[in-house]
Amino acid sequence: MRRGVVWQLLLFTAIAGVITTLMALYPHWLPATASEQADRIGDVFWFVTIICAAIFAIVAAVLAYSLWTFRAPRDDNFETDGAPIHGHTGIEIVWTAVPFALVTAIGIYSAIVLGKNDKVGENPLRIDVTAQQFAWSFKYPQHQNLAATTLRLPVNRVVRFHFTALDVLHSFWVPEFSQKQDTVPGIDTWLTVTPNKTGKFPVVCTELCGLGHAVMRSTVIVMEERAWRRWVAGAARQAGGGGGGGAEAGKAIFAQNGCGACHTYEPAGSNGKVGPDLDKLSEFAEDAGQPVEEFTRNSIVDPNDYVEKGFPPNVMPPFESLSDQQLDSLVAFLTEPKGAS
Amino acid sequence: MTHTAPAHDAHHATKPPPTGFRRLTAPGWIRAIWMSALFWALGAGIVCLLRWVAGWDPVWDWLPITVVAFLTMLPLGFLSGIGAFDYWVYYALGYPSREEDHSGHGARSWRDYFRVNTDHKVIGVQYVATTFFFFVIGGLLAMLVRAELAQPGLQVTDAQGYNGFFTVHATLMIFLFIIPAFAGLANYVVPLMLGAPDMAFPRLNALSFWLLPIAGLMFVSAFFVPGGGPNSGWTCYAPLCEHNTFGNVFFNMGVQWAGASSIMTALNFLVTIITMRAPGMTFWRMPLLVWANFTTSLLVVLATPFIAASQFFVMFDRVIGMDFFNIHEGGYVLGYQHIFWFYSHPAVYIMMLPGFGIISEVISVMARKPIFGYRLMALSLLAILVLGFSVWAHHMFISGMASYLRVPMMITTLLIAVPTGIKIFSWLATLWEGRIHFTTPMLWALGFVSMFVIGGLSGIYLGAVPIDIHTSDTYFVVAHIHYVLFGGAFFTIMAGVYYWFPKMTGRMYDERLGRLHFWTTFVSFNLTFFPMHLIGTQGMPRRVSDYAPEFANWNLFISISSFALGASILIFFYNMIHSWRYGELASGNPWNAMTLEWQVTSPPPLFNFDEIPQVVGNPYEYGVPGARHALLNGARQHELEEVPR
Repeated sequence: MRRGVVWQLLLFTAIAGVITTLMALYPHWLPATASEQADRIGDVFWFVTIICAAIFAIVAAVLAYSLWTFRAPRDDNFETDGAPIHGHTGIEIVWTAVPFALVTAIGIYSAIVLGKNDKVGENPLRIDVTAQQFAWSFKYPQHQNLAATTLRLPVNRVVRFHFTALDVLHSFWVPEFSQKQDTVPGIDTWLTVTPNKTGKFPVVCTELCGLGHAVMRSTVIVMEERAWRRWVAGAARQAGGGGGGGAEAGKAIFAQNGCGACHTYEPAGSNGKVGPDLDKLSEFAEDAGQPVEEFTRNSIVDPNDYVEKGFPPNVMPPFESLSDQQLDSLVAFLTEPKGAS
Repeated sequence: MTHTAPAHDAHHATKPPPTGFRRLTAPGWIRAIWMSALFWALGAGIVCLLRWVAGWDPVWDWLPITVVAFLTMLPLGFLSGIGAFDYWVYYALGYPSREEDHSGHGARSWRDYFRVNTDHKVIGVQYVATTFFFFVIGGLLAMLVRAELAQPGLQVTDAQGYNGFFTVHATLMIFLFIIPAFAGLANYVVPLMLGAPDMAFPRLNALSFWLLPIAGLMFVSAFFVPGGGPNSGWTCYAPLCEHNTFGNVFFNMGVQWAGASSIMTALNFLVTIITMRAPGMTFWRMPLLVWANFTTSLLVVLATPFIAASQFFVMFDRVIGMDFFNIHEGGYVLGYQHIFWFYSHPAVYIMMLPGFGIISEVISVMARKPIFGYRLMALSLLAILVLGFSVWAHHMFISGMASYLRVPMMITTLLIAVPTGIKIFSWLATLWEGRIHFTTPMLWALGFVSMFVIGGLSGIYLGAVPIDIHTSDTYFVVAHIHYVLFGGAFFTIMAGVYYWFPKMTGRMYDERLGRLHFWTTFVSFNLTFFPMHLIGTQGMPRRVSDYAPEFANWNLFISISSFALGASILIFFYNMIHSWRYGELASGNPWNAMTLEWQVTSPPPLFNFDEIPQVVGNPYEYGVPGARHALLNGARQHELEEVPR
């Protein structure tokens, strides 16, 4: 060994360590967490980061030191060779055993956190999530099956999501909650989240689900327990009390089924761009040569029957699950004279 | 490029080109065209015949199954026409087997590169040139993806166009660039390194090359299919891809042709490496590139049938109404992912291990040192091979599979970091006390080591289930795969291409342009892909044409960097083309390396070695006084430098 090599190496490692530490600390790597699970996942993230930053610093330091110290003289044309070192059993054992120990530690810590994050505890709030191209809808089975397209959760209560996918794979993710789960046709999947901060966060679909994948978004609002209870009571009364048909109910059905994710429709306040603009529905009906109401009804239950020019077929799922009454309301909402509502 | 083997040319002279009617029936492009048409008609005929027999009306209908018939028959017609099956057909039909005149061996003019050729060196060049052709298309698609993502909202294309761009980008880069580029380099180098005159099955070798452009054209032509190109991502997850555009069927079929090519090449490598080693070339004397291709070929033959099956399943679901993944008929959606990843995770190592081999060659030669821990380096390849088959479900931590599978799969995943770490540390130790030459291939090798450390460490994040749950399907994953496949596989391909360029062409590349290429790529690569880690963990999902405005600044920055990255490739192409024609003549052994391919002329003689070499020692004995790897041509070795070209 050359003289002072240890000190020089340590110096290189210190410099590389400072740089990697700054890289780890300066940018905000994780979004501001809003759930207990996210906090624990953040802990694993930093545990792994410390190990990885140390390894990277050491590798970078040895690499930089070697390249600086052992470069060949300029006039050397591949004639002279380096030292014929073939290996060193001791050092090879060390760099097999140490990484082994480190990844084992990461594995154990991860498994512990995974176990904690999946724990449901007592009295969870159950939410049934339905995913379809390209909309989320939520139901509260413990609260008269209340339905909504914006998710509202009470803070500091364990929430147990149950997912159903109607057509293809989707994935439910709220970055601030860190938890994520695919929704799979034919399989019940679930996820546990305990929100611990109030606020408004995006619900993002992260599994490619078709042309509207990028706009398959919703919102989750985490509220104080009291405010949430007030909202539940009010929303349940509204849903129970209405009962009537007509355009007003149609507006709710439009929202609940996520039509606005893909379609622009001014009365609903939506501006989706995946499908045709429903403000021009009467023009489309004319193109198709059908009366507006019949055309609208048919397009909802059998979208491929007539596809407007410039839009690909097989994108919109057939909404066959709507009852006749719901369908009537939705058609009324879509075909009512503009400015009436 | 001409070969310098005057002694052979006399009795290996090409036959005079066929004239008159024989021009139509001789193997070649003319016959390929009319036989493609003939087989196309045959495919249509079979479909019509079956429909007529079954009493269907109309007899002719433009159904998916009809197109699949074409996608099967037309390539077979092309292959028959170009002559890939000639010898076997003659043999099978009982014709007297023709005297082997080697007229299909070696290249005498550029035209020979467009024929069925059985010379592994010609096939190697065919492979590399073809893969770079598709690399350019894949790269342009990536530029289109970045152009769309430069700003939130849709500007350049629509959702269908965007999904097509990223799907075909990934497909071409994986199936038509990285995997076959390694196969091409190894095709050229492995027989030479073994001291063999060619691969074990030269005709099979030629066939496996010609399958490749078929697959590539199938992927690219899918864009022009009525209804739109493949748009389900390169993973083609069921059930989405079964409902999506018809272009997805072209993807399913293209994978079959590319996969068949892979499997045939891998079998060829395995047999070559096991049976064609020169006397004295024991397994423990093989260069690590040979070891790497040995393990890779094992991975390919074991794993590739699984992706073939997965693509057949989704295609059969669509075209003949099978219900593998149709839940209404008892299908099981997650089954697709298990089968797909049982190939596609080992495929990650198929795209990595040959690169490990290249880097071992380059670092040892350019640092003038024996590889540190040679045996452990070879054994770690085998460890990766074994562990690589036990980690596939780490792509499925959030997929909804049984949750108890996650921890065991996490443990095997994390353990794979150990043999990979051994390789990184051993390369570092090989540099220690060396005499390091910063040539272009060495710069790519060192760039690879540093970038692959980042890609490997981000893999630890993704291996830990809780972090994976947060980062899965985000840009963090996009960053990770590009550090592994661009900073990893692409950098090693570059190291290999520059390193063996003198051997393949007989000329030196321009060193200054090579370094410029490296540094521009290295910097713009990091500027492009490092920020993706950040926007991923902060919440940007992958495969979206539109995104939240908070990510706009970073995406614009990434897009601009990616255009610089794309432009840096132009330096490479200029260097390669210009140097191939006008570069300084290369000697047989410009790097003063010990492995066998450098002990013959550049480019090597028609059958590689005038006489089979005798291997007497290890391949990396730099600095050991008097050490020899092999004895060649008796005392005539000193003449190597003066062979007339």
